[in-house]
Amino acid sequence: MATPCTTDQSRLSRLADGELTPAETTEVRAHLARCVDCRGLLADLQQLRATARGLGPIAPPDHAWMQIAGQIRLGADKPVAAPVPARTVAANPTWQWIGLAAALVLVALGAYVFRGGAETPSSIAETGAGNAGTTASVEAVTTELGLAMAHYEKAVAELERIAKTDDTSLDPIVAATLQRNIGVIDVAIAESRTALMESPASAPARDSLFAALRQKISVLQTTVLLINQIRQGDHEGAARIAAGAGKKS
Amino acid sequence: MTDSSRVHGDLELAGRCLAGAPGAFDEVYRANAPRLFGLACRMVGRLDAEDLLQEIFLTAHRKLGLYKGESALGTWLFRLATNLCLDHLRSRGVRFNQMSDRLDGEIEAGAAGSGAILGVVDRLDLERAMVALTPGCRTIFVLHDVEGLEHKEIGTLLGISDGTSKSQLHKARLRLREALAGQNTGRLKSR
Repeated sequence: MATPCTTDQSRLSRLADGELTPAETTEVRAHLARCVDCRGLLADLQQLRATARGLGPIAPPDHAWMQIAGQIRLGADKPVAAPVPARTVAANPTWQWIGLAAALVLVALGAYVFRGGAETPSSIAETGAGNAGTTASVEAVTTELGLAMAHYEKAVAELERIAKTDDTSLDPIVAATLQRNIGVIDVAIAESRTALMESPASAPARDSLFAALRQKISVLQTTVLLINQIRQGDHEGAARIAAGAGKKS
Repeated sequence: MTDSSRVHGDLELAGRCLAGAPGAFDEVYRANAPRLFGLACRMVGRLDAEDLLQEIFLTAHRKLGLYKGESALGTWLFRLATNLCLDHLRSRGVRFNQMSDRLDGEIEAGAAGSGAILGVVDRLDLERAMVALTPGCRTIFVLHDVEGLEHKEIGTLLGISDGTSKSQLHKARLRLREALAGQNTGRLKSR
C-alpha cells in the first residue's frame, strides 16, 4: 500500500495564490512532478478558488430599499417606532385611504405567490437547510431550523407589539385591510407548519414557512412605517409606502 | 472611466446625498446593494443579512459626510459593510483573535492520498458548503477567495497575523473540498 504524502499541504494553497518565493515554487513544483496526490489537491484548490471568485452579488429583496428609505425619511438615527411627541393627523380624502387599502391588498395576494416554494440560490445558501442529508447531519439541520424559526418569530412578535401599541393612527379601512392581510398570511403560516410537521425533511414546506414568516414581517414593518408617517402627518409618504408594498408583491 | 474621474463622480454623488437631492441615495443603494448583500449573506447568513443590509445603508447615510474620496465610494461602503459584518459576528461570540495558525491533523490526513476529487465545482454547491464552515474560516474564505482581499488586509480587519489568515484559509479550503467531495459521492450513490 502506498504511503500517504506527508508534505506541508498549506504550501499548495500558497502556490495556488502565487504567494511562494521563486525558490519555494521550484521546490514544490519538483515535488508535484512526482506526487499524484498533491497534484490532485492543487487542482482541487485551484478549482475551489476559481469558483469562489466567480460567486456574484446577490440581489436583496425588493422591500429592503423601501424599509431603508422609510427609516431615512423618519430620521436614520431613530428606531422605526420612535415616539413622535405631537400628533398632526390631518383630515384626509376618503379616496386616498381606499387607495392605500387597495395597494395593501396586493401584499396579501403576494403571500400566496410566495408560497409557490420556488427555491432561490440565496434561500438555499441562507442556512444550509437545502443541504439536508448531504453535508449536514439531521440533528444540525433541526437545530438550525429551530434557530431560524426563533429568529423569525421573535421579529414577528416585536413588530406585532409595536403595531398594536398605536394602531389608532391608522384609518379604519387601512387598519382592517392590514389585519386581513395578516390573517391571510397566518393561514399560510399555519398550513406550512402543518406540512412541515408531517414531513420534517421537506425543503418546500420549510421554504414555504420561512417565506410566509418573512412576508408577515414585511407587512408588519409596512404597518409600523405607515403608522409613523401618518403620525407625522405625511400622508404622501404613507401613500408611497403602501404603493411600494403593493409593488413588491 | 479613470479612477480619478470615478472618485470625482462619487464625491459629487455623495454631495448630492448630503444635500438631500431626490434619488441620490437611491442611486448609491442600487449600485452597491447587491455586492454588499452578497457579502452579508455569506458572512453572517441570509437570516441576518437583511437586517445588516439595512444597518449598512443607514450607517452609510449617517456617515456619508466622512467620505472624502480617498477611494471609490463602493470601496468605502465595502469597508464599512465588512466592519459591520465583523461586529455582528463578534456580538455573536466569534473571537477571531483566538484562531490558531495550526491545522487540524485529521483534515490533512483526510485530504491526503485522494488525488483530484472535485472536478467542476457548482456555485450553489459551494454556497451550501460555505454555510457549514466555522464562522472564522468562512469569514477568511469569503474575504480572500470571494472578495479578493489580501491576507495583510484581512489580518488587520480581524486582528490576526498574516500567517493565521493563511492557515485558516487553507483549512477552509480543505473543509470545503471534503464537503463538496461528500456531495459528489452522495449524488453518485443516489443515481
